[in-house]
Parts: sequence; C-alpha cells; structure tokens
Amino acid sequence: MFGLELREVSKSFGEKQVVDKVSFASEGGEILGFLGPNGAGKTTTIRILMGIIAADEGKVIYRTEKGFSEIIPKSSIGYLPEERGLYKEAKVLNVLGFLAGLKSVAKKEARERALQWLDKFALKDYSQAKIEELSKGMSQKIQFIASILHKPKLLILDEPFSGLDPVSQDLFKAELRRLAEEGTTILLSSHQMNIMEELCNRIFLIHQGKEVFYGTLPEIKEKYGNYKVTLSVTENYDFNRLTGLSFVADSERLNALEYEISLKEKTQPGEFLTVIDKDCPIRELKVSRSSLHDIFVKIALGREENE
Amino acid sequence: MSKTGKIVQWEVMRNLHNKQFIIGLFLTPLLIALFAGVPRILERLDKPETVRYYVIDDIDALETLQKGISSETIILRSYEGNREDIEDQTKSDKFTGYFFLQEDFWQSGNLPMFFKERNHQAERTIKAVLGGLLQQNRMQQLGVDEEQVSYLTAAAKLEMIPMEEAIVPQANEIMVSIAFIVLIFFLIFSSGSMLMQSASQERRDRMAEIILSSVTSSQLMQGKIIGQFLLGMIQLLFWITISLPLVIYILEFPVMQAIMDTNLMVVVMFGLLGYLLFSSLFVSMGATMEDMQSAGNSQGLVIMIPMLSFLFISPVVNNPNGMVSRFAGLFPITSPVIMILRNAVTKVPVWEIIASGVILALSSYFTIKAAGKIFRIGMLMYGKTATISEIFRWLKYPD
Repeated sequence: MFGLELREVSKSFGEKQVVDKVSFASEGGEILGFLGPNGAGKTTTIRILMGIIAADEGKVIYRTEKGFSEIIPKSSIGYLPEERGLYKEAKVLNVLGFLAGLKSVAKKEARERALQWLDKFALKDYSQAKIEELSKGMSQKIQFIASILHKPKLLILDEPFSGLDPVSQDLFKAELRRLAEEGTTILLSSHQMNIMEELCNRIFLIHQGKEVFYGTLPEIKEKYGNYKVTLSVTENYDFNRLTGLSFVADSERLNALEYEISLKEKTQPGEFLTVIDKDCPIRELKVSRSSLHDIFVKIALGREENE
Repeated sequence: MSKTGKIVQWEVMRNLHNKQFIIGLFLTPLLIALFAGVPRILERLDKPETVRYYVIDDIDALETLQKGISSETIILRSYEGNREDIEDQTKSDKFTGYFFLQEDFWQSGNLPMFFKERNHQAERTIKAVLGGLLQQNRMQQLGVDEEQVSYLTAAAKLEMIPMEEAIVPQANEIMVSIAFIVLIFFLIFSSGSMLMQSASQERRDRMAEIILSSVTSSQLMQGKIIGQFLLGMIQLLFWITISLPLVIYILEFPVMQAIMDTNLMVVVMFGLLGYLLFSSLFVSMGATMEDMQSAGNSQGLVIMIPMLSFLFISPVVNNPNGMVSRFAGLFPITSPVIMILRNAVTKVPVWEIIASGVILALSSYFTIKAAGKIFRIGMLMYGKTATISEIFRWLKYPD
C-alpha cells in the first residue's frame, strides 16, 4: 500500500521562511485536505513533495510494499496545479498523449485511456478539437483527465473545483471518491470549505509556513468549532437579553426576526437553552457546530491578530 | 524513449504542425529569393539588347575593332552604299547608329557617333577598344614597333605563392566558411528567438508546473534546446535543398568541392558549442519573461549578444593573427564565429584552436548550469517578468 510522509520539512527563500518544520502522513485511499490562507506555504510544500524544488531540511518519505524511498517517482504523481493551462494550439488527444507519455504510459494505452475518460466526461466529440476551442469548464476537465490518466498513486489537486458548474463539481467529487476507494492517496487543496468537509478524511491546516492543525474533521471541530445557535421568532423579540450573556462570543442579526449567536469555547448548547425565557415566540431554533469555513477564518484571522 | 526525447519530439511535432512555422518555412526563402536572387535571374533571362552600327571605314581599322569588341550583342557592319544615304539606310534597317573611321581620328582621337538611340554599355565597349587602337597607332607613328607596343602596354601581375601548402586557404574555402558563419548565425538567432518564445509561452500557458511534475527542469530545458536545434536544422536543410541548385546555377560555384576543402571539424565544433552557449542563455531568459512583449526589456537584449562578433569581423579579415583577432578567437562570446573565420583566412596554430575550444566548452558548461537554475525558478514564477536583480539572486540559490 502506498504511503506518504513529510518529516519536519522546511524551506526558505532568502531571508523568508516559507515552510517551517511541516510534518504529516497519509495512507493510500485517503483524501487529505490541505488548507491554508493565500501565501501560507501550500504551493511550496506541494512542490517539495513532487521534487520540483528541494527542501532545506526534513524528508519526504515514500512507502510502497517494496520499501522506502526519499523521492516519490514522478510517474506515481498526478498533479493539477492552481495556476494551470494547456497548450492552446494543440489538439486534445495529442496533449493528453504527450502528458501521459511523460508519465511513461505507452502511446496506444494512453490513447485508449484518454478516449475512455473523454467519454466519461462527455468530451469524446472534442478529442480532435484544439484546446483554444474549448470552454473553461471543458479544458478544466481535460486538465483533470491529464492528471489521472497514468493512474497515479498520489494525486495532488490544487483548487480543482474553481470555475466548475455544480453538475461538473458533483462529477469531480464522485470521481475523487472512486479514485480514493481504489487506493489513490489524494492531497486536496481548496478554499471551497463545504466541498472539503464533504470529501476529506483528514485536514492539515497550514498558516505562515507552520502547522496549525492536523486531524480528522470531528477533531478539528472539537478543538476549534464552537456551538452556534440560529434563532428565528414569529414576532418582535428583545434579542439583547440573549446576546449580552457572558458565554456568548458573538452575534449577528440575519434579519428583523432572526439572529445567529456564537457561543464561547467550551460552552455547551444546553447552557444557552436554559436561559431562553418561556415567552420567547420561537419559530425555529437550530444548534450547530461552526463550519470548516468559520474555523478557517477564525484561525487565519486569530493568528494574524496575535502576530 | 527518454523523457528528454519525448519533449524533443513534442517541440518538433508541435511546431511542424504550427501554421506560423510552415508559412515561415516557405515564405523566408521566397522573400530571400525575391530580394536577392530574382534580380539576378531576371538579368540572365533578359537577354541583352543587340545594337547595330553602320561603319564607313577609311583607315582599315574595322576588323581590328570588331575583334577587340568580341561581343555578339554589338554588331559593326561596313557600309558600302552612298555616304549621303547612310542616315536613311540606318533608319530603314533599324540600326542603332553609324560612325566614320577616318584618318583625322588618329590625330584628334575624336570620333563623331550618330545615333538613333543611345546604348551606354555598347558605347563604353567601343570607346575602350578604340582607345587601345589609338594608343597603338600613335606609338607606331612614333616609331615603336608592335612588339615594343605590347611590351610597353603590358599590365603588372601579382603572383601569390604560399610558402607552405596550407598557409593561405583558397578563396572558395573562405566563401564556404562565411556561408557556414551565416548559417550558424541564422541558427542561433532563429532557434534562439523560438526558444525564448517557447519557454515564455509555456510559462504564460501555465504548463510549466504540470510538465515539471513529470520531468526535471534540466530534462525540460535540454528537450527544448535540442528540439529547437532540430527545428532550426530542418529549416536550414529545407532551404539549402531548394537553394543549392540555384546557387550552383547562378554562381557557377563548385560547392561540394569547396565544402570538402573546408576544415569541417572546426566549423562543427565551434558551431555546436556556440549554439549550446547562446541557446541555454536564451531559453533561461525566456523562462523569466511573462510574454514576448517583454522582449523589449533587458532579457530581450540578450538575443543581441551574439552580434558582438560583428565588431571583430573586419579586424580579423585584415589582420587574422593580430592581438585583437587572437583575443576574439579565445573570448567565448565571439569565438564560435571568429575561430571559423580565422581558420578560413589564415593558418591558426593548433594550440589556439584547442585553447579556444576548451574555453568555449567550459563557458558553455557553466552557462548551461546557471541557465538551468534561472530556468527552474523562472518557469515557476507566474504573473510577472523577473527583474535582473531577481535573476542574479536566483543564481545564488543552492541547486
């Protein structure tokens, strides 16, 4: 089974420390969410992982049934970068054949696989079209196909869903789940937190080159996710009675009859519910944990404020 | 096939299917032919106009004049009719004009020539031959006999005898060497600008990172350099194939013999090393540019560096063993061209050829290493053209 590990990897450019002792591991079949604000060091970490640039310190360890290695073979990696494109004047099938060839897939095999994937993404009729003739969504699908055509053991996807319509997003999600089930390790970086929540088994959160959190989604929510109460009423109600309470961290008026109240860390929702008076004209009451989006914003902003 | 080989194949095939490349392949020789070759071909096709003059010869000089002119396009015909009718006869026979060879010509040296239309070429030829006849006649009048005349009017000649066989190369060898220099220049500039464009386009198309997830930056750079070299060679061979028969026909030049006489080893060694040096420089600069519009910036000026050789061509031709020539032959930026040129115009000592080759090879090696570093970092830097200070900073980064 494929395994990947980063051990205390660091990288600096001149005086600037871009990645600082980052460590994580991932097993085959896992979708690992790789999160961080812009400039956090994600791209540099990914480039180190792929051997495009070398780390100043630390190791990348690649494990297979046969043993260990400190270099991941390029033919085992599939990569869809955030800044991506394709040779505009080249034909779809030629580009896919060329990129698969670089991953050591035989010409005939590459062609057959490419046609299968194009068929799956309803692009078979465009196999002889030039890339410049395709829509943005279509070329994004081609780029995705190029990253998986050689059946990589490690698939690194940077913002694969940006610019995709909901139907295509669902198609991508289904394919990613299927690839993971087949044993591919997927390193997924995206700012679309709802999709990350849906897909990822574990999350690695990086900020200013350093690890902030590494664990499963329930663990991150347990650690950073406070409770949130959404309360809507049928008639005018004095919300100040609730928003001024000592265990309320923050509140936001959604409309005249609806409020969202965030509870402070370690405050249980039951504690809040007991203070709502009996006369409150409740229409709807919802208790939830903070979303990954909220946690991300909170950590990113909180860290910046502390520094 | 190796990964470098796959990139070479992709670069070549992509360009061979590119309309711009194909149009350039056919259009360039057509343009060259149009501006250089066609006037000469037209000149050959367009037969010179035949001019005809009636001559009344009273001094028995016509036969000597005709022999002296020896041109099929200038016809001098003795007029046998009435002198008063010569003008009407000239007009009716559609002759160009007429003139009289009379006794007073030997004294005055003046010959009235009556014309219907002027032909300067014919007039110059007739004047030159008449000048010789006049000189000869006057010398004879002064008592100098024919033998003495030819002795007195003989022109001086320089007979060049090389002290050693290879000391002075043949003129043909110089011509072939100059032709090779032109071809190498073309290869460097044409492939160089295509290389710059290719690297810059890959960066702009955001392909670099995808490719670098499959190959190393050195493989990518090597693939591009070799690929563009092959494309340049394809262009050259195509153009040579179609132009060589024309050159042989127009210049009547023994091309194959002259190539065999040239020191091809020096041409190939310096040509290839020079290409490696400049192409690695160009591809790395292409990797630092967001688009070719940036070619106006400092990076774009890099493509002018090979032009430095032009500064030395005249000093080398005039004094091929002088200090300037020797320096230019050893300096790696000028040596690819200058050593080929020096080797054609003089016998360059073997140690100088070896020293120059070693300096050029080492320079190419270090340039390729530095270019590899610039290329690797430049290709991954999206969205802007790197500044010169940034490029120098990259050179300090570890490998």
